[in-house]
Amino acid sequence: MIPEVTVTNREDVPQWLSYGAPLGTILAALLVASVPLLWLNINPIWVYWELFVSQPTTVSGFADVVRTALPLFFAGLAVYLPLKAGLWNIGAEGQLFVGAVVGAAIALHVELPSLLLIPLMLVAAGIAGALYGAIPGYLRAEHDVNEIISSLMLTFTATTFTGYLLRGPLQGSSGQSATDRLPDAAQLPSVLTPRLHVGVGLIVVVALASYILLNHTRLGYEIVFIGSNPAAATQAGISTYKIYITVFVLGGLLAGIAGIVEVAGVHGRLFEDFSPGYGFTAVAVALLGRNGVGQVLLAALFFGVLTAGGTTIAVTQNVPSALIDVIVALTILFLLTAEFVKDHRINIAWRGSDPEAASQTGGSP
Amino acid sequence: MTTDPLLELEGITKRFGEVVANDDISFSVDRGEVHALLGENGAGKSTLMNILYGLYSPSSGTIRLNGDPQTFEAPKDAIDAGIGMVHQHFMLIPRMTVLENIVLGEREHTATGDGIVDRFKRIFGRDRAGPRERLSELAEQYGLAVDPSEKVWELDVGEQQRVEILKALYRDIDLLILDEPTAVLTPTESEQLFETISTLVDEGLTVIFITHKLWEIERLADRVTVLRNGKRIETVETDGVSRSDLAEMMVGREVLFDIDKARVPTGETVLSASGLQARDDRGLEAIAGVDLTVEASEIVGIAGVSGNGQRELAECLIGYRPLEAGQIELDGKNLTGAAPRTIIDSGVSFIPEDRYAHGCAEELSVMHNAGVKIYRNGELDSSRLFLDYDGLESYADKLVDRFDVRGVTDVNRTPAGTLSGGNLQKLILGRELSRAPRLLVANQPTRGVDVGAIEHIREQLVEQQQDGTGVVLISEDLDEILDLSDRVLVMYDGEFVHETTPAETNKWELGVYMSTGAAPAADDQLISEAQ
Repeated sequence: MIPEVTVTNREDVPQWLSYGAPLGTILAALLVASVPLLWLNINPIWVYWELFVSQPTTVSGFADVVRTALPLFFAGLAVYLPLKAGLWNIGAEGQLFVGAVVGAAIALHVELPSLLLIPLMLVAAGIAGALYGAIPGYLRAEHDVNEIISSLMLTFTATTFTGYLLRGPLQGSSGQSATDRLPDAAQLPSVLTPRLHVGVGLIVVVALASYILLNHTRLGYEIVFIGSNPAAATQAGISTYKIYITVFVLGGLLAGIAGIVEVAGVHGRLFEDFSPGYGFTAVAVALLGRNGVGQVLLAALFFGVLTAGGTTIAVTQNVPSALIDVIVALTILFLLTAEFVKDHRINIAWRGSDPEAASQTGGSP
Repeated sequence: MTTDPLLELEGITKRFGEVVANDDISFSVDRGEVHALLGENGAGKSTLMNILYGLYSPSSGTIRLNGDPQTFEAPKDAIDAGIGMVHQHFMLIPRMTVLENIVLGEREHTATGDGIVDRFKRIFGRDRAGPRERLSELAEQYGLAVDPSEKVWELDVGEQQRVEILKALYRDIDLLILDEPTAVLTPTESEQLFETISTLVDEGLTVIFITHKLWEIERLADRVTVLRNGKRIETVETDGVSRSDLAEMMVGREVLFDIDKARVPTGETVLSASGLQARDDRGLEAIAGVDLTVEASEIVGIAGVSGNGQRELAECLIGYRPLEAGQIELDGKNLTGAAPRTIIDSGVSFIPEDRYAHGCAEELSVMHNAGVKIYRNGELDSSRLFLDYDGLESYADKLVDRFDVRGVTDVNRTPAGTLSGGNLQKLILGRELSRAPRLLVANQPTRGVDVGAIEHIREQLVEQQQDGTGVVLISEDLDEILDLSDRVLVMYDGEFVHETTPAETNKWELGVYMSTGAAPAADDQLISEAQ
């Protein structure tokens, strides 16, 4: 018996498959991730049960998930919006850092009551992120500089420069590379449980705004059209220049806000490793949720479950936290296959072992 | 009449999912004949030939060659059985020489010794002298002159096609399939091709010739099989059948060939462009100082072999390609250097040459594509911010209906890229014309489109002209140019080399201008008149 695999392009992608493929790949990733778990004598079913059922259904566990999902969602949209216009923003992490630095600096140096200070921090952080995001957008629009490279390089610039600030002008009294604790007026108040801050309300606002932008506005129409065929869009009078800059500005804005919310809502101070690579996981979030804003939110929650639950399990149950990274990495890896599975029809035929058939398949060069 | 069938197709059916591309097709091709396969785009001609060439396997049905049933798993099997095919898009490697392209996949070495050198030669070597000799024999036998050591990218389209034919002949075939061979050729080159085909048949080959141009069938074919919607309609001798009969068989209804074009008086000047210069994508000069004026209700035909600057000219007129020099005025308003958006808003519509690459966003729905010229004019939503998608959907529905765009199940769901060429073109035409433009720039509006759609598109162009639109019609199809234009310009090497009117010229004269850039020599003129 010789398996004969033929792969052909699908002429059209059925509805169930475009939704089923991401789901199926996640399941496949979990299946493969159970191999190292088993090897370490850890019951994978137990780990997945803890991760996806036990933890998120407790109040504090759920709060952890939502809190972690916020920066992932915002940074995910920072990747997703440019992606809709056909561009890759790999620099959400940098835009997040810039927003965090500017917001934290304002919190430390401006004395205002909470009701004024927090909005000021959010707006300033958003503008800072937007301006930082505008750089790769502008370079692409005006000079055709590859935005993948410029946005990625600007991320390193931002994180390294943040490191400098934290050992210099912004360094706190503790002597570590971190700021002082932000004043109480700058801390985001908690809601429902001490583990949840008011910033999570922004998730609803941002999700709605992004949905309306893409599905009900002229700008959204232009973004989607350019993303599908820039040459046709240009000939139809849509300016790639304007849209390329706009999507990067909007993306940077959201990433910048995510940065300060993480600092003022979760950690209370700015330190070098305040983001566990949210801006990079965001690329996976945007890819997993590429069918719409709602899906981006679901993807952010999924990665929120993995990150938040993973930390808890690692601490309480002695599962190596690196294994959680393995699961995340496998999910991203399998995602790439989802695209392929979606667009191609794969047939596996078992050929009989009679020599004639075998020679026919083997004969053609 | 005695028949000697070389090829018999019996009940060939091919399904792609639920779509039946070929539905129980049977016919036979006699040895030594030129058999034309006629049908609209999407009628199933290419699918059928791809089955015959081993690229697809039929869902059911039998192919017989010399009476023996055949199963082709791959083109190699078809080639081994003596079938060769020249595709519409050439399958040549530009960097390689003619000879290398021809022997590609047929590498053989004549070294016979048992020594290590000879063994290596057989595995890795390539015999150069043998194939070259054989190629020149073939070239001489069939009158196909090419230089074997020239690189393919240096050849013009007609020569590349000769290489494709030689490549097929090199593999000892009995049956040659030509898929729309004249689509890319100038009239002169087409004429050469027809002579080649006659020679091939004289030398004992059988030729299947796919086309949707009716006059080519009259000129060349012995018999013709007509396909429509995947079914065989009829196989007839070309001698006893008229052009309009064929068209009716192909389209399924009567087709009007002569566009009823009442001459309307032209109006004020709409477009006035002078001294236009621009570069092509590689940065080379593509148009070298062109003046063009178009009046209201005037169709100005621009004839030329493609690649002589027509595309660049069209793109300059809509502001897509930057001008190196020159001026563009529309209705007296200076639009030199304006962005496409400004030019569109001033009333210019555009039908691009490549409708998939430049005319639509393939992945987006018909609705998205239908609305791209009106989504921001306030018709759908008066606010500058929002867009009324329900309004857009009903607008798209109306457009699809009015311009007879077929293959759309749901304007919101059907991606534009899944429409056939003709139907996509009708969608683009509808989108561009329903804005009642002042000027329409149409680049090759009917190229690669089937007869039914051509008729529709030409009617729409004329109707638009009657309504007062000035039209720039760029086309390689001289019948189209002569039928529709009020004034004809011939473009050659980035310049207009000849200006005339349809009444004062003919296809032959235009063809000479198109291919040489100069007037026909006086003695050629006499020969042409004698004919």
